[in-house]
Amino acid sequence: MFIKSANGTGADVGADEASTKKIRGFLFGKRWSPLFSQRWRRWLGRRLPPSQSVTLDHRKLFVLPTSAGLGFLLVIFLLWLLGTNYTNNLVFATAFLLLGLLVVLPVHTFANLSGLRLQLHETLPTFAGDYAQAKISLSATGKRSREQIRLAWPGEEGALVDLPGETKGSTAGEVNIDLPLVRRGRVRAPRFRIESRFPLGLFKCWSWIDLDIEFLVYPQPKSAGPLPYGASAAEGDQARTWSVGGDDFAGLKNYQPGDSLRHVAWKQYAAGRDLYSKEYASGNDARLWLDWDLLAGRDVETRLSNLCAWVLDAERAQVAYGLRLPGKTVAPGLGVAHKQRVLSLLALFPVQGVSQ
Amino acid sequence: MTSALITTPSQRQSLLPRESLTWIFAAQLAVLLPHFTHLPLWLVGAWCIAVYWRLEVFHGRREIPGRLAKLLAVSLVVAGLALTYRRWFALEPMVALLAVSFTLKNIELVSRRDAMLSLMLAYFLAATLFVFEQTIPYALYGLFCAVIITAALIAQHGGSRAGPGRALGLSTKLLAQAVPIMLLLFVVMPRLGPLWAVPQNTAGASTGVSDSMSPGDFSNLSKSDKPALRITFDGPLPPPEQRYWRGLVYTHFDGRRWSEPGARGSFANQGSRSERPLPAVGPRYRYQVIQEPTHNPWLFALARPNSESVGVRETSDDTLIYKMPISNRLAYQVHSWPRESVSGSKTLSVWEQRRHLQLPNGGNLKARQWAEARLSEGLGAEEISSRLLALYNRSFTYTLRPPLLGKNSVDEFLFSTRQGFCEHFASSYVFTMRAAGVPARVVGGYQGGEWVEQQEYLLVRQYDAHAWAEIWLPQRGWVRVDPTAAVAPERIRDGLQSAAAEEFMQDALLPLHKIAFVSRLRLQWDMINYRWYQTVVSFDAERQQGILQRLLGEVSPLRLALFIAAPVLLALIGLLLWLNFSNRGPALPPASRLYLRFCRRMARAGIARNPAETPGDYARRVELELPRLGPMALRITAAYEKAAYGDDAGAEKQLRRLLRGFWPIRLAR
Repeated sequence: MFIKSANGTGADVGADEASTKKIRGFLFGKRWSPLFSQRWRRWLGRRLPPSQSVTLDHRKLFVLPTSAGLGFLLVIFLLWLLGTNYTNNLVFATAFLLLGLLVVLPVHTFANLSGLRLQLHETLPTFAGDYAQAKISLSATGKRSREQIRLAWPGEEGALVDLPGETKGSTAGEVNIDLPLVRRGRVRAPRFRIESRFPLGLFKCWSWIDLDIEFLVYPQPKSAGPLPYGASAAEGDQARTWSVGGDDFAGLKNYQPGDSLRHVAWKQYAAGRDLYSKEYASGNDARLWLDWDLLAGRDVETRLSNLCAWVLDAERAQVAYGLRLPGKTVAPGLGVAHKQRVLSLLALFPVQGVSQ
Repeated sequence: MTSALITTPSQRQSLLPRESLTWIFAAQLAVLLPHFTHLPLWLVGAWCIAVYWRLEVFHGRREIPGRLAKLLAVSLVVAGLALTYRRWFALEPMVALLAVSFTLKNIELVSRRDAMLSLMLAYFLAATLFVFEQTIPYALYGLFCAVIITAALIAQHGGSRAGPGRALGLSTKLLAQAVPIMLLLFVVMPRLGPLWAVPQNTAGASTGVSDSMSPGDFSNLSKSDKPALRITFDGPLPPPEQRYWRGLVYTHFDGRRWSEPGARGSFANQGSRSERPLPAVGPRYRYQVIQEPTHNPWLFALARPNSESVGVRETSDDTLIYKMPISNRLAYQVHSWPRESVSGSKTLSVWEQRRHLQLPNGGNLKARQWAEARLSEGLGAEEISSRLLALYNRSFTYTLRPPLLGKNSVDEFLFSTRQGFCEHFASSYVFTMRAAGVPARVVGGYQGGEWVEQQEYLLVRQYDAHAWAEIWLPQRGWVRVDPTAAVAPERIRDGLQSAAAEEFMQDALLPLHKIAFVSRLRLQWDMINYRWYQTVVSFDAERQQGILQRLLGEVSPLRLALFIAAPVLLALIGLLLWLNFSNRGPALPPASRLYLRFCRRMARAGIARNPAETPGDYARRVELELPRLGPMALRITAAYEKAAYGDDAGAEKQLRRLLRGFWPIRLAR
């Protein structure tokens, strides 16, 4: 299987710039009145209801000539004129052969997509202002190969995929398509476009697919300075842990080679007990709390963004961290699962209703 | 994502991958190659330079030329065109213009859009080839071009997998599918006449019988075995000695060269048909002549001809003329009456008399004396003619390689060399007859022809070109006299090959005409060409009407619509079947098919199986939701599992039996 990652090859990029612009205008109704685009979307919703898995067929696919196809038609017309004026039957034959090609082509373009099954494989969470990625698996029964299929969200480059025909009687592949997301939270992805211009680029066959894709979007990380070690006030004793390296004497521990000789508890050693070393700790809460209240005075989104940046910093520094949000607290911890839990809390933090 | 990167100029140059460029250049070369013969050489060079430049750009060794360089290139090329072609309203400059646009587009072949434009142009240019040539090899070459261009289009959209073989294969497949539609449209599409006057192909050098005759012209023609005319008869066929295909008459003699002033542009100033009434009796010969392009306007027919074909006109010299030089094969219908049956005026006007008695002021004194001697003997025109022919017969030889003649060509031929080809005989005969006061003229055309049995047409080749004479007899009008027949009657009866066996086609690189097998093969090839011309090239509105009438009985809109709709419908049904068939996966084993039938019936009863549910889970769910169906569902599922995984033939039979009586809709009620 060949997946051309969208930013990998430049070959397909330029030609489709214009068409992607068109798509954007098409779906978001910039070219048309909002009323019409709303109707169009309602109609699409009825015709192609959102579903986890979609099999493309004649009810879901649209076929129209591309601008190159219209140019081809113009060439045929000019040839017909040439043939008529010169009463030249071979020129006529050429014109009719090309016209025959034009009749045959949409069938091939349609067949390239028809019967294709699309299924959402997984979505990966992302940060706002970044690209969210959906893994979509494509499969088809039959021996035919499926070629040059482009999947893209409106306005995006998308990805190109080829499904080679196999002798086993089915063909399958997987493709990643990216969607830039700006707002955090649970984001319902719009319809994406699946399109193919195979084989001559004179016709395009396309559909707008809604696979019920939902992205979890974390807030955009915005740095709020260094990690707030010990900045958060301790709440009760059990939450207070001494962290090593402060000024106050905290207790004794068994001596281990490498402990500073200045901290060896010589008094106890002289009293005939084992070799201990004295431990000192700071008096503040030594655990790292990423606290909503530390960022007072900023608006909600900035606070969330700052917290998010801290989470990433802490994870990078491999320091256990906890999160305190109004009404929610996550005990300190580390690791992928912990990070995801914390980030989801940030992502799903209600947009309104939380005041200072 | 990387939109900023895309628009940088260094990136843009590599937008078209190597295969894409290679395909475009291959398509252009294929299309331009046959045009190279008439395109100016500098254009071919310019195209090569443009291709080289674009490849250099691809390799990163050069930049895409800037605006100034492009402007320079355009002005250079336009200047070149203006210098090469004086006349713009002609076919060649138009084709050259297309080739130029190819060339200029090449140096700025950047995006896929440019590639598409270039290939669309290629389709058009490929078709213009047919305006120049319509023979079978060119038709095949045009088809080859279409395959190449379509493959190039495929390569523009193919991914990395589209190798040359695959692109060509797919292109051939697509075009093959388009062929039936082409045939249908070819037969059905109405042919309108030319919508406006278009420039014709004028560059070709005129071939065949020309508007003047000097010694040696016809012996040159005898070296070519190219076809000149193909003639089919509707009714009787003239005997060989009557097959004189008259092209034009030569009345003016300057001592060496016979010519016809104004033969080229005489279409307009000839009298109209109504001035020369046709006889009441029907014509003796009805035939169709298919003439190869000669780039001359005169046509060939038996005397005395009349044609109803468009653009053909009869002249006062009993020849036919076309409205313009013939640059493509032309077919015309002719009716011919024998001269004797035509009741015309049997007098020559003074002007005609002077025209047919014209002689140069001096020279060829011996011939004049001979004629005067005969006159003083008191002989009439016919006797003088037969004396002269007897002279030829007695002491002249017919040869393809006559000795060269000096200033007094007639005298030298008549009284010293006495060896000559048809033009020598005709020239000296007419000169002498005029000297004797008998109005006479030389006629140029073809004589004879090879009868092609299977197709039943007469094939006249260039080496059948012939010159003979006509004299005016007051009682009979114009009478044909062929002095060559007096010397070499076999030339008239059997053709040149038997009359001049040793000399015939001696200059040919390969003496192919001597090998019977090859001659037959060439005749076969000519036959195929003839059939091609008859069925394809000359297919017109009339023929179309005929074919449709034969196919449909009568040409009514309803029948025509049916005629088009029926194949289209058939094709659609075939396509749907193919789609359905090709989308189907491998056949499922029978046990699975039976189980799926069970699932369908259950779904109709209200419990559909979830996509990922195992048969066991499904059966248990059925048991839970519809307890009455439970035991049966469990048994069916057990039988299915045994049949599918246990390789148990008995279980499959059991499954079948169980399913036969299992109708959950009825049972659930």
